[in-house]
Amino acid sequence: MRPIARKSSFEGLARAAALLLVLGICSALTLHLNGYYVFVLANIALLALVGIGMNALIGLTGQISFGHVGFYAVGAYTVAILGKAGLSFWLAWPIGALIATALGALLALPALRVKGPYLAMITIAFGFIVEHAIVESRGLTGGQNGIMGIVSPTLGALARGERAVALIAFGAAALAYIAYSLLARGAWGTAMRALRDSEAAAESIGLNPLVIKTMAFALSAFCAGAAGGLFAPLSGFVTPHTFGFSQSILFVLVVMIGGAGAPSGPIVGAIIVGVMPELLSSLEDFRLLFFGALLLLVLWVAPGGMIGLGSAFLRALRGKLGLTSAQATIPTTTAQAHLPRRARAGLEASALSIQFGGVHAVSDLSFAAAPGAVTSLIGPNGAGKTTALNMLSGFYRPSSGTFFIGKKELGGAPAMRIARAGLARTYQTSQLFGSLSVVENVMLAAARGRLGMILGSHKIRSAETLALGLLAYCGYAGDPASPSADLAHVDRRIVEIARALALDPDILLLDEPAAGLSTQDKEKLALLLRRLADAGLTVILVEHDMTLVMGISDAIVVLDAGKRIAMGAPAEIQLDPAVRKAYLGESEAAGTISVRRKPSPPSQEILGISGVFAGYGAAPVLQGIDIQVRRNEVVALLGANGAGKSTLMRLLSGLHRPALAGGITLDGADITNLPAEKIVRLGMVLSPEGRQVFPELSVLDNIRLGAFTHPEGMDARVDDMLTRFPRLRERLHQRAGLLSGGEQQMLAVARALMSKPRILLLDEPSLGLAPKIVADLFAALERLREDEITVLLVDQMAGLALKIADRAYVIEGGCIIASGTADEIAGDPALARAYLGG
Amino acid sequence: MLLMSALVSGLGLGSMYGLMALGFYVTYAVSGTVNFAQGSSMMLGAVLTFAFTRTLGWPAPVGIFCALAICALYGLVVEFIAVRPFASRGSDSWLMATVALGIVLDNLVMFTFGKEPRNLPSPLAQAPLEIAGVNLGIYPLQALIPVVGIALAGGLYLLSVRTRWGKAMLAVAQNSAAARLMGIPIRPTVSFAFALSTLLAGIAGVLIAPLVNVNSDMGTLFGLKAFAVAILGGIGNPWGVMLAGLFFGVSEGIVTVTLGSGYTQIITFSLVILALALRPNGIFGRAEVKKL
Amino acid sequence: MALAFTRRHIGALLASTVFAGAFVTPALAADPIKIGLVTALSGQSALAGEAISRGMTIAIDEINAKGGLLGGRKLELVRRDDEGNPAKGVTAARELIFREQVAVLFGGLDTPVSMAIVPLVNAEKTPFMGPWAAGTGITKNDGKPNFAFRVSAVDEIVNVGMLDYAQATFKATKPGMILVNNPWGESNEIGLKAALAAKGMSAVGIEKFEGNDVDVVPQLTRLRSSGADVLFMVGNVGPSAQVVKSLDRMGWKVPIVSHWGPAGGRFTELAGPNGKDVHFVQTYSFFGNQSETGKRVIASLMAKYPSIKGVDDITPAVGVANAYDGVHLSALAIAAAGSTDGDAVRQGFYKIDKYEGLIKTYEKPFAPGVHDALQAKDYVWAQFIADRILPVAK
Repeated sequence: MRPIARKSSFEGLARAAALLLVLGICSALTLHLNGYYVFVLANIALLALVGIGMNALIGLTGQISFGHVGFYAVGAYTVAILGKAGLSFWLAWPIGALIATALGALLALPALRVKGPYLAMITIAFGFIVEHAIVESRGLTGGQNGIMGIVSPTLGALARGERAVALIAFGAAALAYIAYSLLARGAWGTAMRALRDSEAAAESIGLNPLVIKTMAFALSAFCAGAAGGLFAPLSGFVTPHTFGFSQSILFVLVVMIGGAGAPSGPIVGAIIVGVMPELLSSLEDFRLLFFGALLLLVLWVAPGGMIGLGSAFLRALRGKLGLTSAQATIPTTTAQAHLPRRARAGLEASALSIQFGGVHAVSDLSFAAAPGAVTSLIGPNGAGKTTALNMLSGFYRPSSGTFFIGKKELGGAPAMRIARAGLARTYQTSQLFGSLSVVENVMLAAARGRLGMILGSHKIRSAETLALGLLAYCGYAGDPASPSADLAHVDRRIVEIARALALDPDILLLDEPAAGLSTQDKEKLALLLRRLADAGLTVILVEHDMTLVMGISDAIVVLDAGKRIAMGAPAEIQLDPAVRKAYLGESEAAGTISVRRKPSPPSQEILGISGVFAGYGAAPVLQGIDIQVRRNEVVALLGANGAGKSTLMRLLSGLHRPALAGGITLDGADITNLPAEKIVRLGMVLSPEGRQVFPELSVLDNIRLGAFTHPEGMDARVDDMLTRFPRLRERLHQRAGLLSGGEQQMLAVARALMSKPRILLLDEPSLGLAPKIVADLFAALERLREDEITVLLVDQMAGLALKIADRAYVIEGGCIIASGTADEIAGDPALARAYLGG
Repeated sequence: MLLMSALVSGLGLGSMYGLMALGFYVTYAVSGTVNFAQGSSMMLGAVLTFAFTRTLGWPAPVGIFCALAICALYGLVVEFIAVRPFASRGSDSWLMATVALGIVLDNLVMFTFGKEPRNLPSPLAQAPLEIAGVNLGIYPLQALIPVVGIALAGGLYLLSVRTRWGKAMLAVAQNSAAARLMGIPIRPTVSFAFALSTLLAGIAGVLIAPLVNVNSDMGTLFGLKAFAVAILGGIGNPWGVMLAGLFFGVSEGIVTVTLGSGYTQIITFSLVILALALRPNGIFGRAEVKKL
Repeated sequence: MALAFTRRHIGALLASTVFAGAFVTPALAADPIKIGLVTALSGQSALAGEAISRGMTIAIDEINAKGGLLGGRKLELVRRDDEGNPAKGVTAARELIFREQVAVLFGGLDTPVSMAIVPLVNAEKTPFMGPWAAGTGITKNDGKPNFAFRVSAVDEIVNVGMLDYAQATFKATKPGMILVNNPWGESNEIGLKAALAAKGMSAVGIEKFEGNDVDVVPQLTRLRSSGADVLFMVGNVGPSAQVVKSLDRMGWKVPIVSHWGPAGGRFTELAGPNGKDVHFVQTYSFFGNQSETGKRVIASLMAKYPSIKGVDDITPAVGVANAYDGVHLSALAIAAAGSTDGDAVRQGFYKIDKYEGLIKTYEKPFAPGVHDALQAKDYVWAQFIADRILPVAK
C-alpha cells in the first residue's frame, strides 16, 4: 500500500535544495553588497522570521494578533539590556526569545476565550502595554530615548557588524521555515488546523484547545522574540517608538500578502513588505500615500496572498496543458475489524438535568447503556435528545446530576477529558476538520490528544494504516487524501464515524447519523452500527428513522419534553401507550393528513423552468431541467441526495447565481438573473433547507421580518401564523436560536408565508423532524391550498410528499427522469430507482 | 477637586470614544466587518468642517452639514473599495484594506489641507462653563458631547429594535442568505451601515475639533481607543458601547490624576485585557447561541 | 508532486523578481553633489520636515545660482521620510549614504532618529548636520572622530536658560514641569532637573501628557495643588496649545517658560488669546528688523513657495533658519575640503573662518570638541504678539 499522507522524498530533496540555494545566494549577496542592501536583506529575513512564526498562529490556528511587536520589542530589549550588562549576544539572544515565549504563553490565557475582533483587541492592548511599559521603566530601558550603541556579534573572520547579523538572520529564518514545514505536517500542526476548523470536534477527539492555542502563541512569540533579538544588534539601538502599533500591522501584512498557511507565504510577504517601502523611498513625502494605494492594489489582485495567486495561475496553466495530478489509489485493505477486542465500559446517566433560561431542556434523565449493545435515544423534536448527548460529551455542563463511564464519574467534566476517558461522538451537522484530508481527520483522532514532540509527526503518521483500515471498515471508498471539506454528505457521515472510532472508544455517541442518507446507505449504516456493538462497543444512537432504530437497537430510551417517559426493548417501546400517545406512528401521523386532491383543471403556468444548467464547479449539478408549475398546484420534486434538488431551489430563489444556461420565468417574466431580494418581491419565496432562522432575534421578530416586503396588515398575519403554528405562540419572545429543530422549521415556514407569496418553495421541511411534527407540518401545508398558494416541495420523504402533491417530478443526476401526477409517480419504477439506485 | 476634574474630563472624552465606537458597532452588527481606520473618518469630519467654515467661510450649519454628508459618502467608498471586494470572497483582507485606505486618506488630506495643525473656533469652546459663579473647568461643548453621544446611542438602539430597517440590519448580520430570502437587500444595507458609521465618526470629529488641533493624523490614536471601547462594550450592543466609552474615558482620567499620564495607557489597556479575559464577549456583550 | 513543489515555491520566484528591482539602480553621474535629508515628511512632525526642506532649498538655490561648488558641481537635495521612527530613519540614512552617496546628511526634528543615525555616520564617515533636533548627545557622542555637527539649540543649554529666565523674569521659586510624553520631553526633563539641581532647587511636580491629549486639566490640576508658581513647558505647537487651553479652562494664570515648541505653527490660533503669555526660546525670528540676509531669504521664500504670503507663513521659523545656515556652512566646509570625501569635509567644517549667516555672523563656528554652531548667547526669548513672534521686551 502506498503511503498517502507522506510527501515523496523527491519533493523533500527539491525543497531542501531550493532552500540551500536561496540561503547561498543571500549569504553571497550579504558578503559583497554595500551596507544598505545588507541592511535591507537582513530586515527582510527578520520580517520573514516573525512572519513564519505568525503563520503558525494565523495560518494554522486561524487566530490573528496585532500585538506581536510586543514580543519583538521584548526580544530586542533583552538583547540590548543584557548586552549592555556585558552578557554575550549568544546568551542574551536565546534568553530574549525565551522571555518572549513565556509572555506569549501568558497572553494566550486571556486570548484563548475570545475570537475575531476581541482577540485583535487583546493583542493590540498587549502591544501598547509593552510599548508604554518600556517608556516608563526608564532605569532599565532608557525610557523614550532607548538604548544606543548595541554591539553586534561576530561570526569569526567571516563577517562582523550588520553582515554577521544578516547571516544569522538568514540562518534563523531558514531554520524557522524548516521548523514550520515540519510543524504544519506534524501532529501539532494538524491539531492546530483541526482546532481552527471545529473547536468542539477537536475537543471531542481529546485535543486540549488551551494547550494547542498556547503552543501556537508561544511559538509565534518565540519567532518574534528571536527576530527582535537580532533587530537590536542590526540597528545598533532600540527605542520604544520603533515598536509601535504600525509595526504589528506590518507583521500581519507579511503573512496575509504572502498567503496564510503556505510555508513560503511569509517569505514572499516579507520580501514585498520589506522591499516596497525602499522602492518607494525616492517619493519622499508621497511615499506613504503610494504605499497605502499599492497595498490596496496588492490586496485586490491577490486576496489570498501571492502564493494563492501563484497557485491559481499554475492551476490555470495546468488546466490548459491538460495535466492533472494523479489521484491517490483507494486502499485495498479488507474490511476487517480494527478495533482491538477488549472489555469496554458502559455508560450510566444518573438524574442528568439542564436548564436554558428557565426552560428545563432535560430533567432527571437516568439510563444505562451496556457495552456490546445499541441503546437508542428517541423522542419527538425538542424532546432534549441532542441536549442530552451534548451533556454526555461534555459540550454542555449539566445543572445537576452526573454520569459514569464504567466506574469513572464524569458529570461536568470538559469534553476533552471525557473523550480521553473513552467517549467518542459524531454530530448532527458534520463537524469534520474541513482543511484536513480524510485520512488526516482519522489519524489525528487516533492520537487521542497525545501529540508527542512539537515538530514530530510520528504520533499521527504511525496511525496511517489504522486510519485507512477504519475508513475501509466504515465503508469509505473515496480518495483518502482528498480534503474533507469537499466530501459528499454520505461520506462525511462515514468519515465522522471512522474518526470517532479512531479514538478506540468504549462508548460511541451518534447524533442522527442517518439524516439525509438514502435507504441503501441507511441499510449499510445499520449494518455498521450493529457490527460495532457486536465488537463490544457501547453504541448510543439518537435517530429519527424508526426503521433503523427498531431494527438495530437492543434498548430504547424515550424522551418527551426533557423527561424520560419510557425505557425498554424495541418491542416493548412500540407497544407502550405513553410512547404511542406522545410520539409514535408515522402511519397514524400520515393518516391525519386529509387528502383532498381534486383532478386539477388545466390552469395557467406560474413558474416555468426550461433547459436550466447550473453548478458550483466544473461539472454542472443541473443539466437541463424543465419544470412547469401551474397556479394553485402542489408540485413535489423528488430524488436522492445529491441529485441537485437543493441547487435548483437555491437557483429558483435567487440565492444561487448564475444559471449557466436556460431560463426561469415567473408569471411569464424572466427572473433568471434577478437577485433573491427581487424575486421575493415578485411573490416567490423559499423556506430554505436547514431552517436558517435569525438565531439572535426573538421568534416574533423573525416572523415580522418575513413581512419585510409587505409590511401592511402585518399584525393580523402574525396572528394568523400563530394560529397555524401554536407552538410558536408559546415561544414568542424567546431567541429563535434556542428553539428545537421542529420549532425552527415551523418558524421558517411561517416567516416565509409572511411575505404573502403566491408560490412557496419548500426545501426539505421534514429533514430531521419527528413524524408527529412532520404530520403537523404537512397538515399545515395542505391548508395552504385554501389560500391559493402554489407550492413547490422538495422532500426526502417521497411517500409523504406525494400524498399532498398534485404532480411530481423525479430528478436524478441533475436531469428530470420522470414526471406526472402524484399517483403516476408513486407507481413509477423510476422513483424507486432514483432513491435506491440500480 | 482632582477626582472631580478627572470625572468631568473623562466623561467628555469617554463619550467621544463612545460615539466613534458606535460607528464600529453599526458596521460590525450588519456585516461582521469594521472600518479599522475609523480615526481617519473622524479626522475627515473635522478637517472638512474647518475647510468649509474657515477656509471657504461658509456659515457653520452649511459647512458642518456638507462635511458630514461627505463623511457619509466616504463610508460608501470605504465599503465599496476596501470591504466588499474582500468580504464577498470571505477573505479577512478587508482589515488590512481599510487600514491602507486610511493611510491614503490621511496622506491625501495632508497634501491638500496642509501639514500644519489648525484650530477650529467654536462659540461653545470660548469661555469655561460656570454655574452660579463656580468655574467647572470645562467648555460648554465638553458638557454637550456626552449628551449628544448618549442621545445618538439611544437613537441607534431605537433604530435597531423598533424599526423595520433596524431589524433588517440585525437580520442581515445573523444570516445574510436568509435575510435576502426575506427580500432584504444586502448590499444597500451594508453600504448604509458604513455610511452611518463614518457619519458617526464625522460627528465625533466635528464635536471634538474645537477642543483639539485639526490636522491629518488627529484621529489615529483616537480610532484605536474607540475600537478598544467598542470591543469592551461588546460590539453588538449600542448601550454597552456607549457605557464602555464613558467607563474608558473616566478610567483614563482617574489614572492620569492619581498615577500620572505615563501610566494611563498601561493601566487602561491592562483593564481591557482583564475585562475581556473575564467576559470574553465584552462587559455588556451577550454570548451567542451555541448549538451543535 | 513536482507541481506541488512548484506551487510552494512559485512565491519565492515571484518575490525574487520583485526584489531584483531594488538592485537595478541607474548608474549615477558623479556630477551633482548630493545633500541628504532624513526627516519626518508625513505624520505629526511633517510641518517641521517641510520647514527644513524650505530652508535648505533656498540655500541650495543660492549656491547653485552662484555656480555651485568644486568647480561648478551643483548641489542637489535628496529627501527621505523617516515617519519620526528611528528604525525607518536609519534605513533611510543607509540608503542615502550607500546608494545616493550624499556628501552631507541632514537630520530632522526627532532627537531619537538623529541619535540612531549618528553612530552610522561616524562609522561610515559621512558628515551629519543637525538643523533641529536639540538632544545633547547628538553632537556630544563618542565617535572618534565625530562627524555630527549642528546649527540649532541644545537642550541642556536651553534648560539652563529656561531656569535663569524664569528666576529673572518671574521670580519663580517653585517651578513645575509639563512635558510632552516623547523623547524630547524626556530629554528636557533630565536637562531641567540637572539645571535645578545645580542651583539646589527641585521641581514641585513633573507632569507628562500625550501629544494628542484632548484635555490636560488633570495633570495641571496636580501641578496647581502642589503649588507651582511657574511652569516649564516642553511640547510641539499643538500639544503646547492644549496646555494653554486647559489652563484657560481651569482659570489658572501662571507664567509659562517654554522650549521653542510654540514657534512651530499658528500658536495663537491654536491656543487662543492666552497664547501670548507663553515665553519661549528662539534661535531666530523673521519678524522685526532683518539683516540683509534675512530680507533676501524672506523674498526668496515668498518667490519660491506660493503658500508663503508673508512673514507669518514662515513656520516654524527655527527650522527654516537653522537649515538655511546649516547648508551654507556645509557648503563652506565642502569648499574648504576641496572634495566630497567625508573626512575631508569633516575637517573642512573646522576650517570655516567667517560666514555672515541668517542667524548671526559665524566666526570659526566649529572646532574639534565644538560641534554646535549656536551657543547660549545666540538664543532669544520671544512671545507671540498677535500672530507674530517678537522678542520679549526687556
